[in-house]
Amino acid sequence: MGAEPKPLGDLQRRVFLKGAGMGLFAFTLGGVEILMSPGEARARGVPFRLLKADEAETLEALGETLLPGAREAGVAHFIDQQVSVTPGEALLEARIVNVKPPYINFYRAAIAGIDRAATARSGKRFAALNATEQHDFIDALRQNKIEGWQGPPPGLVYFVLRSDSVDVVYGTMEGYESLGVPYMAHIEPDKRW
Amino acid sequence: MATQQKMEEKVDVVIAGAGASGSTFAAVLAKAGKKVVLIDNGPDWQASDLISSDLWGRRIKPAGPPFILEGKQVAPIGYHGGWGVGGAALHWFANVPRLLPNDFKIKSEHNRAHDWPIAYEDVAPWYDKVAHDIGISGDAKAEELWRPAGRNYPMPPMKTFKNGEVWLKGFAANNIRMVPAAVAMNSTDFKGRPGCIYDGWCHVGCPIGALANPLVTYLGEARAAGAEVRAWSTVTRVLTDASGKKATGLEYVDRDGEKHIQPASVVICASWAAQNPRLLLNSSTDKHPNGLANSSGLVGKYIMTHFTAVTNAMFDDDLEPARGTIGGQFMSYERYSKTAHKGAFGSTLFAVGAAAKVSGLTGIHNSRPELFGADLAAFMKRAVRGYTRYTAACEEQPKIENRVELVSQKDEFGMPLAKITHNYDDNEMALWTANLDEGMKIGHATDAKEVWQVRTAMPAIHLMGGTIMGTDAGNSVVNSFGQTHEVPNLYVAGPGIFPTCGASNPTYTIFALSLRAAENLASNWGSIAG
Repeated sequence: MGAEPKPLGDLQRRVFLKGAGMGLFAFTLGGVEILMSPGEARARGVPFRLLKADEAETLEALGETLLPGAREAGVAHFIDQQVSVTPGEALLEARIVNVKPPYINFYRAAIAGIDRAATARSGKRFAALNATEQHDFIDALRQNKIEGWQGPPPGLVYFVLRSDSVDVVYGTMEGYESLGVPYMAHIEPDKRW
Repeated sequence: MATQQKMEEKVDVVIAGAGASGSTFAAVLAKAGKKVVLIDNGPDWQASDLISSDLWGRRIKPAGPPFILEGKQVAPIGYHGGWGVGGAALHWFANVPRLLPNDFKIKSEHNRAHDWPIAYEDVAPWYDKVAHDIGISGDAKAEELWRPAGRNYPMPPMKTFKNGEVWLKGFAANNIRMVPAAVAMNSTDFKGRPGCIYDGWCHVGCPIGALANPLVTYLGEARAAGAEVRAWSTVTRVLTDASGKKATGLEYVDRDGEKHIQPASVVICASWAAQNPRLLLNSSTDKHPNGLANSSGLVGKYIMTHFTAVTNAMFDDDLEPARGTIGGQFMSYERYSKTAHKGAFGSTLFAVGAAAKVSGLTGIHNSRPELFGADLAAFMKRAVRGYTRYTAACEEQPKIENRVELVSQKDEFGMPLAKITHNYDDNEMALWTANLDEGMKIGHATDAKEVWQVRTAMPAIHLMGGTIMGTDAGNSVVNSFGQTHEVPNLYVAGPGIFPTCGASNPTYTIFALSLRAAENLASNWGSIAG
């Protein structure tokens, strides 16, 4: 017989939220696993687990184009950490829109498709485009107007990467704070992302 | 793939799935003294796992569900599905409108779709009983504008907030009466569970138990009465005897890959509208060559959804969109007649005043999916104060072409994956468009500065059908209790047994039908269990 469920009161709820370390993930630095936010992981130069350097560079450029602040908030580190855990543990929006695990395959195919298309259009990878070119590329991607596109459905790529960017910039306690929105008006966990 | 097999001790009832329907059956039967085992494929979630975060809330939803989705408007799986103990009801929005009398007689009254084999009057007492079991807040008398009288809800309506109240002027101007939304949330303390604190995180699970998820309602009761839950265990087949007329138990694979046989006197498939057909189709024998309980060929057929027509608005005032609950503050059946909209057939239900957070699938950013970059950032700064929306939930008519079927590709347990094909037709498009058009009128009759809609895709929600109920094996898979026509001690529970779906959120009806069926089973145990 399983444990009897017990509803939590406000105080207990604060405690477990603190314990959960909202938005903190296990990153490996110097051979040691440390809980930190993706932005901290980026700032401290945490090596990527699965993404190659050029893939991470493209992801950061994509994230920053989709939502300013995503690069600094560690969008590439967030995705890299999330694709390295089991699908059941993953917190990616890709999970919700039925992307088939392992999720790294989706991201690799999306990144490759974008860099291939950017090179075909402008002779440069996405990260090397100027800001206007990057904006125009994303605008074409979301409308499925990339000529010769090879990769996952462009609309899905746009949706998932945009959601990832929103997650790291706004979907955290710090993100809510940046927008001036109380994260949880009645319960404020001590630990902030 | 499992290579070993362990024979478990026989029990009275084995249930595949510990969500809304499975928990209800388990509570009734365990309290009736039956030995009950629930088998669920995911984690044994506890209240302390329900973290208030759109990111962390994704953990309680499927990851890589074993379904291949096809069609122009694919079936809703990822956001609406459940994974683990509690199922989708662990993160349901807890809106509890009920089906109305006209939902049960579409064939008789309009020569479309199907009649239910039962009438509203057969279900109404169970709606009332569920309300007092799990706790519902609302104003039942106010709802009697549109439905027959019944018991009052046990709690008064929830608080309302500006993000819902601002719509009332627009609805009134369009002669649409609104009443307090019925929600399975506590407006006051109820049965030892606290009242809601209106933090708007219901959709990722309510850890304080103010929202009636299975952990704090029927599943909690079932466990207290001795029911056992086996988490991380995936049911792969329903087993039958040599005659093919009696279910003998379930086969499942545990987390370590060990195969188990769980014998039981009664077997209940309560694994949601998508998985139940997959399970029955994968349980074929020489007596049931096309899948269990499938002589009609209807297992997997008539998959249905609701679709939503959402109207967004921006106000100058600070509406505090993130506050409140994910359920509605106000509701209306004013367009619930099947012919309410000229040129379109089907019911519409209005739900108004859901909290809107800044990320996640229902996040504010997705109200303007075309925005990115600096434009998105600027929009978000305004929208976190002035944004609100309402939803018109619309009824899809059952179509035999919308279906679940097995494919040759297999999962890690050696079980074939299932393909779900789902499309809307011109009628659904007409109903959607009519509601969007009316939504613009409603929006413009408020004090909103901007009103807009996203018309690029019809959002599908709530998966239903696939194992529909009817009068006999020629027109359906199960009877009104979910008992399969061909194997009397085998039940199917959940939204899959709906033969039509109305426009009302399904979970309240799932609870009511499950409670009705479980009490019938308990009362007739000897004749059914043998």
